[in-house]
Amino acid sequence: MLELVSSDRGPTDAENIDAVVSFESLLELVSQGDQQAFADLYDRTAPRVLGLIKRVLVDHAQSEEVAQEVFLEIWRTATKFDGHRGSAMSWILTMSHRRAVDRVRSSQAGHDRDERIGLRDIETDYDNVSETVEIRIEHERVKRAMQQLTAFQREAISLAYYGGYSHTEIAGILAIPVGTVKTRLRDGMIRLRDEMGVTS
Amino acid sequence: MTDDDRDPRLLTGAYALDAVSPSEAEAIERAADSSESLREELDGLTGTATLLGLAATPVMPSARLKADLMAKIALTPQLTNDPPASSSTPISAVEASASAAPAAPAPVADASAASAAPSVALSTESDAVAGPRETAAQRRWFTRPVGILTAAAAAAALFLGGGFVGSALVNSGSSTTVIDAAASQLAQLTAADDAQRTTVAVQGGGNATVLWSNELGRSAVLADGLPSLPDGKVYEAWYIDSDGAAPAGTFTAAGTGTSWHVLDGALTPGDAVGVTVEPAGGSQAPTTDPILVVQSA
Repeated sequence: MLELVSSDRGPTDAENIDAVVSFESLLELVSQGDQQAFADLYDRTAPRVLGLIKRVLVDHAQSEEVAQEVFLEIWRTATKFDGHRGSAMSWILTMSHRRAVDRVRSSQAGHDRDERIGLRDIETDYDNVSETVEIRIEHERVKRAMQQLTAFQREAISLAYYGGYSHTEIAGILAIPVGTVKTRLRDGMIRLRDEMGVTS
Repeated sequence: MTDDDRDPRLLTGAYALDAVSPSEAEAIERAADSSESLREELDGLTGTATLLGLAATPVMPSARLKADLMAKIALTPQLTNDPPASSSTPISAVEASASAAPAAPAPVADASAASAAPSVALSTESDAVAGPRETAAQRRWFTRPVGILTAAAAAAALFLGGGFVGSALVNSGSSTTVIDAAASQLAQLTAADDAQRTTVAVQGGGNATVLWSNELGRSAVLADGLPSLPDGKVYEAWYIDSDGAAPAGTFTAAGTGTSWHVLDGALTPGDAVGVTVEPAGGSQAPTTDPILVVQSA
């Protein structure tokens, strides 16, 4: 099963999910002021939004605050969603991650995140018992793709995405030139993109 | 720093991972506006970052988060779908301006809502009373031209401007179960097809919005900055018809942030919803003049 999924070079995960639940059509209804559609969209996406935000922020209460900001933003700006640029889930998670990172950089939370996140590897999330099969497959797929990267690329991407560090902060943490960090992030992301068959 | 270091093209990975500064993000966006291949790379890498996001373990939010959100969106205007300025207005620019709110110029609809807020009297009868009668239109007030929106937009700004609601929220229930139940009732109410609302000034300061649905037979009071009461006093809600006032539960307020209360009992179409200040524990009939009364329709 995992083999099937990870060898599938067709639609991306995000697209598969959207096909099932039609996040795009929900978002379209939300943009017309449909509050029930908003409630449905919330029910279907909130655990992922909160999961991602909490991965970056760790603190649960702060993460819920940021999740609320994200959903208010979705409500307010649903008309601005452009399906040609990516999936609805991608739009929502991009917004979620950006808000989480904004919070980390602007708050006290940023000061002690080294201890909390440090160089934690992506694998640490895999033991959660409540995972559904679908999520486990996604984890597996990302994990496999991450294994195709060099250790340096993996480390830089984890620090940036899950740690919320900027490329200059990463350069400081790893004591390497900023240009090297930029290259690791770009080469690593391009490799990941190709491994996971993301089309733009 | 060499010219190479400044090439925005080298920052696409960092950009997709939100690991760039706001000025770098702008530079990349600008560069992508004139380069199809750069735009493609950005979109592809951003989609790839989404997969990293999907791999994070989902976390169930509290029931209260949804209730707070449903209360907020019921009062929050949406951006209108302006004719696209040009194809060069990328999503990420919209997001960037939204998340970098203090620095970036606010979108038009926001700016007018925000600037209208402080100066508009919410007790304006014409807006507050006429609104609820236009049921279908009422639910879509946020898509109407800005001029008509002033009272509603101001009400929304109250909630947006009141800071984060969670910690200041004071609800009638004390146990988590009671709060969860009330929260899900509030969420149902705000999402109801026939939900209507009226915003009025509260006697003694502040404003309150009454939301109701005849289909659900339920209503709620939402208030921003309702004063906290001295010990021994509570707010009590009432369903009022020609026979008099029936008690509909007590609640307290924190003085800041948003308070909300889902009324106990059932709304009969045409009931008025009122709130009085009563001795702790509540009264069987009002003992003071109401601080607000809203006639449902």
